[in-house]
This record gives sequence, structure tokens and C-alpha cells, in this order.
Amino acid sequence: MAIDGNKIIHAVMEGSRIREAKGIIPLFGVYLSLFSVHYYNRLSFEFEKKMGKTRETEAQALLIQAAQECGYATFQGIRNSWEWDEIVKPMIDQKEDQIEGFTAVAVAFGWGDLEVKKLIPDEKLVICVSDSYEAGGYLNQYDRAASGKCYMLRGVTGAFMDLIYGGDYPDGCFTFTADEPLCRAKGDPYCEFIAGKSPH
Amino acid sequence: MTLFDWKSELARKGHRVVLSGQPITMHCHHYNINLQKTLEDTLGDEGVQLLFDSVEQANYHGLKSLFSQYTQIKTLKSKLEMASILYQNSGFGVLHFHEIGPEGGKVYSPSSHHVTGWLAKHARRDTPGCHFARGWIAGALEAIFQYEPGHFVVDEQQCKMMRDEECLFTVNRRQR
Repeated sequence: MAIDGNKIIHAVMEGSRIREAKGIIPLFGVYLSLFSVHYYNRLSFEFEKKMGKTRETEAQALLIQAAQECGYATFQGIRNSWEWDEIVKPMIDQKEDQIEGFTAVAVAFGWGDLEVKKLIPDEKLVICVSDSYEAGGYLNQYDRAASGKCYMLRGVTGAFMDLIYGGDYPDGCFTFTADEPLCRAKGDPYCEFIAGKSPH
Repeated sequence: MTLFDWKSELARKGHRVVLSGQPITMHCHHYNINLQKTLEDTLGDEGVQLLFDSVEQANYHGLKSLFSQYTQIKTLKSKLEMASILYQNSGFGVLHFHEIGPEGGKVYSPSSHHVTGWLAKHARRDTPGCHFARGWIAGALEAIFQYEPGHFVVDEQQCKMMRDEECLFTVNRRQR
């Protein structure tokens, strides 16, 4: 059965309207929060700027790493949640289908219009996004970028592969690494994320 | 009294998520805490200040826009109530504003997304760690009193990340 993204979006939207008296949103096995995209963009891009030219690569690596670790833990929690069991699991025929399920959750979270373009099991994942909030935010605030700016989505793409092909949790994080050869922030028509085995 | 219908304000525009028309995104405690730790570990106080400034700016503009949409919300009491509802419904926890005026005041937080997330991932801290909440409070009060961002300083006197009973924030005018 194909993954019905709309069902997942509906579940996230309904679930995110429910919170306990303490103001915490426990959904899909994680504590969720809702906040302006401007916050996340400013935090990432100004962090990069403050690190300066000499530490630019380190800044980018740290942001990708923060996202990949998050994606790895978050989607592990998500696929072990009762919501996943109830809504997504019935649509999964083979383990690769989980990637479609993860992607639908990411769309539901408002990260962009993620679309899986190619999946070679245990080897390569290609995800395209024509409206990532990171690329859009960068374009609104800064001059055209010289390199990809969607650090969160880059980390998350790697995490998706880690969870499916990286071995037992929690030892599989960073088995895969993703690049962003195309990014709207540098003038490309869409952002493209390609995950492959990490070079180590 | 229901100030605004939260459930209908949270909506989708295609693949985007909006709150009262403003673009938002959903992230979980793993990402929020990872970002905070990355900034603190890499830039120290400068990273903490960047986090504070980023929340302050975003919340200032967000609430300013909300107040312009909800013109029936005029009194200080109702504006503070709206800010509390927004914080709580965004999944950040609970804020109780206390003796708030144009010069500042106190804010208590018995429950927090960042505290819950931090303790789940990193256990107890030796220093206060609710930088997100400090920035959020500053931006909220600057929008309410129609000051520019940067007007208020928010300090955290007690923090649940240090195993205090609740988080306590004091708000004062920034000394220039």
C-alpha cells in the first residue's frame, strides 16, 4: 500500500492542537513545539556568520550534525509511537516505505514540500524540496548564497537513511551523510539532498 | 473569556504551516535542545545572546502582528493573557506574569518544553538554561508595551534545569 501523506498531515495537525495542562505537546513520541520559521533561520544563519569565514565549514558541520542527531532520535521516537502504529504502520509493506512515512511527517511539520525522488536500498536517497523554509528564509534576508543553506534538511536526509540502513539504534547515526548540490538559496530551482554512505 | 480561537488560527497553506497567517514550523525537543547546546558549546555567552535575540525578535514581530489582528485585545491584562495562551499552545510550557508594568516585573514558569527537553537529554545543569524563555518574555513584553526589541533585560533567578522548584524570571529596563 502506498503511504497516504494526507492522513499523516491530518494526524499531526489534529495532534498539535492538543496539549496537556502543562503546555507540553507530546506527539508521535516526542515533545513538539510550534514557532516562527524566522527564529530558526536567524539562529542558523547568524550562527554561521558569527563563526566567521575561517570557521564557516565548522559552523555548517555543527548545524548539520545537530539536525542529523535530532532527526535520528526524533524519527526513532516517531516510528515507535502509538500514532505511527495506528496511522502509518498499516500503510507500510517493506522497510523502505518508512522513508515515505518520515517524509510525510516532515511535510506535516512544515519543513517544506519534501519528495522522495530516488531510493537505492542501503546506498542512496535523493529528496527534492521546492519550498524549504531554510532556503526561502535565506533568500529573504541575505544575498544569493555560494553554497547550500538547508542544514536542517540535509541532516535529516542523512538521518532517514541511518534509521533504515544504519544498524541497530542508537549506534547507526552518521552511517550516512547528505549533501545539498542544489539549493534555491544559491539560485537553483529547487533544493536537492543526496544521502550516501559516510566516507569512513 | 476566549481571546482568540487557537484551533482555527493554526492552519495549513499547502505544505506550509501558519499561525494567524504567520509562517511557523514544528520542531521537537531534540532539535531545540541540540541547537541551544551547539550555540552554548561553540560560542559561549555570544551564542546564548544570539539565541535570546533570535527568539526576542521573532516573538516581538509575531505578537505585534497578532495584536494588530485582534484589536479587541486592549488591556494589559488581556494582552498578558494572550501571550500566556500563545506560549502554552505553542507547546513551550506555562508562563505566569506577575506585577508586570512598563518597567518590567516577574514571570514564573512551573512547566517548560526546554526544561523537559534539556533534562531528558542532558540531565541537571549548574547554570540557568532557559534562554529561549528569556528571549520570548522580552519580545512579548516589548510588543505589549510597544517598545523596540532590546528594551528589556530578562534574567533567570531560578531554573528547573538546576532542579529549582520553578523557573523565575525578572524583567528590567536595559541600562544604556
